[in-house]
Amino acid sequence: MEPIVIAKNLTKSYTKGLRALDNVSLKVNRGKVLVVMGPSGSGKSTLIRTFNGLEAFDNGELNILGIKIDSTHDERKIQKIRRRVGMVFQQFNLFPHLSILENITLAPIHVQKRRQIEAEEYGMYLLSQMGIDSHAKKYPSQLSGGEQQRVAIARALALKPELLLFDEPTSALDPERVNEVLDAMRRLAEQGMTMVVVTHEISFAKDVSDQVLFMDSGKVIETSPPNIFFSNARHERSRKFLNQLDKH
Amino acid sequence: MFKIDISSTIFFLKNLKKTLFSNLFNTIITLLIILFISVAISNTFAWLLFKANWKVVISNLPLYAFGSFPPNEQWRPATWMISLLLLSIFTLCGPEWKWLRKNLLIVWVGTIPLGLYLLYGGLGLSPIMSRHWGGLTLTILLTVCSSLLSLPFGIVLALCRQSSLPLIQKLSSIYIDVMRAIPLIAVLFFGQLLIPLFLPVGIEIDRVWRAIFAFTLFVSAYIAEDIRGGLQSIPNTQIEAANSLGLNQYQIIQFILIPQALRIALPALTNQSIGLFQNTSLMAILGLVELLGVGRSILANPEFIGQYIEVYVWLACVYWMVCTIMAVLARHLEQRMTINQANF
Ligand SMILES: Nc1ncnc2c1ncn2[C@@H]1O[C@H](COP(=O)(O)OP(=O)(O)OP(=O)(O)O)[C@@H](O)[C@H]1O
Ligand SMILES: [Mg+2]
Repeated sequence: MEPIVIAKNLTKSYTKGLRALDNVSLKVNRGKVLVVMGPSGSGKSTLIRTFNGLEAFDNGELNILGIKIDSTHDERKIQKIRRRVGMVFQQFNLFPHLSILENITLAPIHVQKRRQIEAEEYGMYLLSQMGIDSHAKKYPSQLSGGEQQRVAIARALALKPELLLFDEPTSALDPERVNEVLDAMRRLAEQGMTMVVVTHEISFAKDVSDQVLFMDSGKVIETSPPNIFFSNARHERSRKFLNQLDKH
Repeated sequence: MFKIDISSTIFFLKNLKKTLFSNLFNTIITLLIILFISVAISNTFAWLLFKANWKVVISNLPLYAFGSFPPNEQWRPATWMISLLLLSIFTLCGPEWKWLRKNLLIVWVGTIPLGLYLLYGGLGLSPIMSRHWGGLTLTILLTVCSSLLSLPFGIVLALCRQSSLPLIQKLSSIYIDVMRAIPLIAVLFFGQLLIPLFLPVGIEIDRVWRAIFAFTLFVSAYIAEDIRGGLQSIPNTQIEAANSLGLNQYQIIQFILIPQALRIALPALTNQSIGLFQNTSLMAILGLVELLGVGRSILANPEFIGQYIEVYVWLACVYWMVCTIMAVLARHLEQRMTINQANF
């Protein structure tokens, strides 16, 4: 079992005394899917954003793909990590002035220095995997939310990452558009992609994840396999949270 | 085909009657205004057609266009200006092939070296000193060169003002604020009178280039502010997305920030260049014989003494026409950008 993410005692506060991350430790092995759940403000985004250096932390240690970073936030190491880790955001964050295909080929061409034709070929392949190759020449604002999010996934895949991070990828979508994105993520998991997914989609977590990590106020409350977490969560706090999710 | 909707026309007339002729007082006011407008219009036309002596314009047309450029070489600036005009028409109405559209920008930038070559001469053309340049040619040259130089300078200033290095940030802020607090005419004076004093003996920059530099120094401060506005309206999430793709700081500036900021600032930027075109007329006071300068020197000629109105009406028409062409081109550019990317 090759560990892809190892976090040890991560701690971070934005404002003094208020911990967004409080002694968080976790481990994700290659090919596994970790789902992160927790109430709003519990530190889920902060946690996965530390994994590719978008957020620095104050204490603890992080080992991503064998690259160790700590609170010094070494830019060179972070750059190395970013070339091997993809991220998908809640609001898609596509580049509005670039066409769909240009969005996808930007990083391969300029970060990996691949030839344009090669990058475009692979970009078209990814788009067809996502079922949106007919939109390659369009601009992001001409696509629906679900389509934009699938473009964002293709963009993250273009660097052939070994780890994918998702921060609530379906929360900004219309309910009838959620499944097209979740299906794409399911296929990635089947192909053996290592993923860390912040989501409240219970069915996705049940079917796809290997572990569910539940957070509250910056602390890890529990980490359990999904069949245990959803039927018989160990902690009172987790059960309360799940009850509330069910009510919606 | 034009179709006049009769019922709405009648409605419009009825409405007019209701608002303009509702009572005696309104009727009198309306009639007085109509009388005043018609007198003004008929006087204007009478002057334009019968009283004005257009000889001062017609017999000096080459002078307005080219200044004192040697007459047997005037085909050179003429070629340049006609090619600019043709290019404008082509840009507005030409075919929509994509490769052509992409190369159009390069052609536009290429008009500047073409213009400088045709004006300066050399390489087979007889060389002509810049003091012989003048008229509309010089006005357009000043506008085009200063706009093109101040754009990159303005971008750099805007980026410096956003920089995280305090020294660079302070310096560029001071530069921008000072330039925006000085009237343009003072900067132009500085360019014409003081720069030669500061330069070491033997080095001389000619008057036209001193003017272009002064305009560039001034306009780039304004352009920097327009672009800063564009930069600030780009959400931080764009930078995060680019960061997580492994792009470095310079790549983010080059591929994400500047293209978006330029698109957002485009309307403001085209306004700057139209303003710049009008402001080149200030150089007439400082001794360059551009379009307004030609007008002044013609008025100084005993033959045409006192014919200000004809000359200034004519000059106003020329400025108006060029500004209109620029504005139409600018609107065309903006529309194309919005078509390209829906509601970005
Ligand atoms: N940039 C910031 N500056 C200050 N405080 C922040 C910042 N970002 C997050 N926080 C705080 O850190 C805590 C954790 O935020 P975080 O965004 O990680 O929560 P989350 O679990 O992702 O919530 P949500 O489900 O709403 O996205 C919150 O208390 C939040 O107010
Ligand atoms: Mg969040």
